[in-house]
Amino acid sequence: MLPILQIGPLAIQTPGLIILIGIWIGLDMSERQAKLFGLDGGRIFSLLAWMLGAGLIGARLVFAASQMAIFTANPLSLFSLSPQLLNLPGGLAAALGAGLAYGQRQKLPLWTTLDALSTPLAILAVASAVANFASGDAFGVTSNLPWAIDFLGARRHPSQIYETLAGLAAAALVWPRPVGRLDAWLRAAPGLRFWVFIAASALARLALEPFRAGAELILGQFHLAQVVSWSILALSLWQIFRRGWPAPKPSAESETIS
Amino acid sequence: MTVSPILAKIPVMIFSRKTFSIASVAVLLLGLVWIYASRTAPVDPAAQTLSQPRKGFYAPDFELTTLDGETIRLSSLRGKPVILNFWASWCVPCQAEMPALQKVYQEYRAQGLQVIAVNMAFQDNQNDALAFVAKHNLTFPVPLDVSGEAGRSYLIQALPSSFFIGSNGIIIDVIIGGPIDEAVLRSQAEFLMKEAN
Repeated sequence: MLPILQIGPLAIQTPGLIILIGIWIGLDMSERQAKLFGLDGGRIFSLLAWMLGAGLIGARLVFAASQMAIFTANPLSLFSLSPQLLNLPGGLAAALGAGLAYGQRQKLPLWTTLDALSTPLAILAVASAVANFASGDAFGVTSNLPWAIDFLGARRHPSQIYETLAGLAAAALVWPRPVGRLDAWLRAAPGLRFWVFIAASALARLALEPFRAGAELILGQFHLAQVVSWSILALSLWQIFRRGWPAPKPSAESETIS
Repeated sequence: MTVSPILAKIPVMIFSRKTFSIASVAVLLLGLVWIYASRTAPVDPAAQTLSQPRKGFYAPDFELTTLDGETIRLSSLRGKPVILNFWASWCVPCQAEMPALQKVYQEYRAQGLQVIAVNMAFQDNQNDALAFVAKHNLTFPVPLDVSGEAGRSYLIQALPSSFFIGSNGIIIDVIIGGPIDEAVLRSQAEFLMKEAN
């Protein structure tokens, strides 16, 4: 774990740095890979920049609304650089809203755009897992396995490494390639690559959640993240089925029979 | 959905429609079995005794002497929410955030909030620390970590470092580095007070 990177007198928050690098790689990649999907790289970059900006503003405004007295007393805190003054769900909602608005305005095809964003999203998931490893967050439950690591006074599952590997596997699965049967299939229907990425991510969370400590429980004993992931997995498998193996059109003969 | 012309041209699918359906159902059933098999008993915070300088764990205890010569033991403050700050007089972000810390302490002290600002005395000069306290009119206890033991038990890697401890002694949040914005301190104090009541 390396929460702080000390360079001379400068103490850099390593997790934040890793997330920034992940965002930068994701933005760069989305612009370059957009062409492979017949999209304009500049527009995809702008879409993500709008989403990022709107996400940050939304996250701050929702946080400020929840702590109105503090921000009324000191309105300049709205411009604070502190990440602690952000509301994550509020930010996500604002980013999605801005993305939809920009996409509609620019007439971006929804599913093809989401396909193009699958690899950058996978890279961001990997960056998030590595950042957790650096900060020590999302640490594992205790274990006696040979590859367990010493952390917080016990030997524990290296849950962040599991999640990094799962993220890399998801990225490899949806990475656009010029040739190959898998890629030809993923290109066959808009949205297929995106739903494969969602299914892979949900499957990884479903499988790995029990190795992570401090789980939130539902019905007193089940991991909430697993239940949510199972539902997302079911939805994404259904979407893959619909797009990857569309039902054949009923023939005129069968129509007359029925 | 209409059949894509590209899809129609792919001679061999990764799986057939039927194989994919069976595999999907099998994966979902296995998922349900895994959810059931990996169910866990809820952790009783009262039964948790491990102390680590991390969110969700009991705050490591220490006993130090303050600048006023009084002895302070962190565990003796159990029952009250605590903001525990580590600082040194030469640390520029510590200088920047201390007035906000004092302000928040003054505002929430009557409601039971405790602020403990541990001076990393083993890396600092006591006269400088005294001058710092006088300059910022700090009224909360300032214990001196002469041996560095408290700093080590909190794995301090950067100054300032702040730990927000609930009235049950469990760390609710950790902020490494600074200066912490006054709004952050206020929102943390609000959360601590809400959690304590």
